[in-house]
Amino acid sequence: MQNLSELTRRLISSRVEFVLVGGFAAAAHGVTLVTLDVDICCRFSEANLMRIQKAFADLHPVHRSRPDLPLELTPEQCASLKNLYLKTDLGIVDCLGEVLGVGNFEAVLKHSVEVELPYGKCRILGLDALIHAKVAMNRDHDRITVKYLKEIKKQQSQN
Amino acid sequence: MPKKNAKAEMVLKEASPAYGVSADGDIDLSLLRDNLAKTPWERMQANDDALNFAESLRTAMKKHHAKP
Repeated sequence: MQNLSELTRRLISSRVEFVLVGGFAAAAHGVTLVTLDVDICCRFSEANLMRIQKAFADLHPVHRSRPDLPLELTPEQCASLKNLYLKTDLGIVDCLGEVLGVGNFEAVLKHSVEVELPYGKCRILGLDALIHAKVAMNRDHDRITVKYLKEIKKQQSQN
Repeated sequence: MPKKNAKAEMVLKEASPAYGVSADGDIDLSLLRDNLAKTPWERMQANDDALNFAESLRTAMKKHHAKP
């Protein structure tokens, strides 16, 4: 059972400093394509990474590239990590230190918008920045997503 | 669905004032407008529902093909 919304809720409840980016951010903006994972851009400080670890502690988190390795971060690992790719019982969470086409966490934060969810406020990459990111990624599904995002922008400007 | 019925449904859909496609024909605008009427949270949950429904269909198909 996948539950990307619950993964997001846990990040918010655990006070992780993050911005929702990627396909789930696109879904939140209104894109009708389905995404399989949660992509976040987050601050790669030890404190923040430990909050992520705590948020998913009971969901058997493992490193996606090494499923035999459970998530047991040490201060030394935290200092050297640039990205963190996780698999949990509720789905995949990719934690990125920067977003192609936008920049590092501070730049992503600057280009994010705050939305109110039932369990708290969540920062989501803004429409324009998400278009930049998807154009920069330029995979087949990114190009389709860009079409949707541009159409959403057009619809919003008409309302 | 029989081909004839599918065609009839398409004609009905296109006759609806709410129906429309983007300039390149890739986006069903009525679906998009419906989605934009939802809150971000509702859209995120709809993604989860679609994911899980697709997974249940995949499981059902696997079972179907596994039958002797």
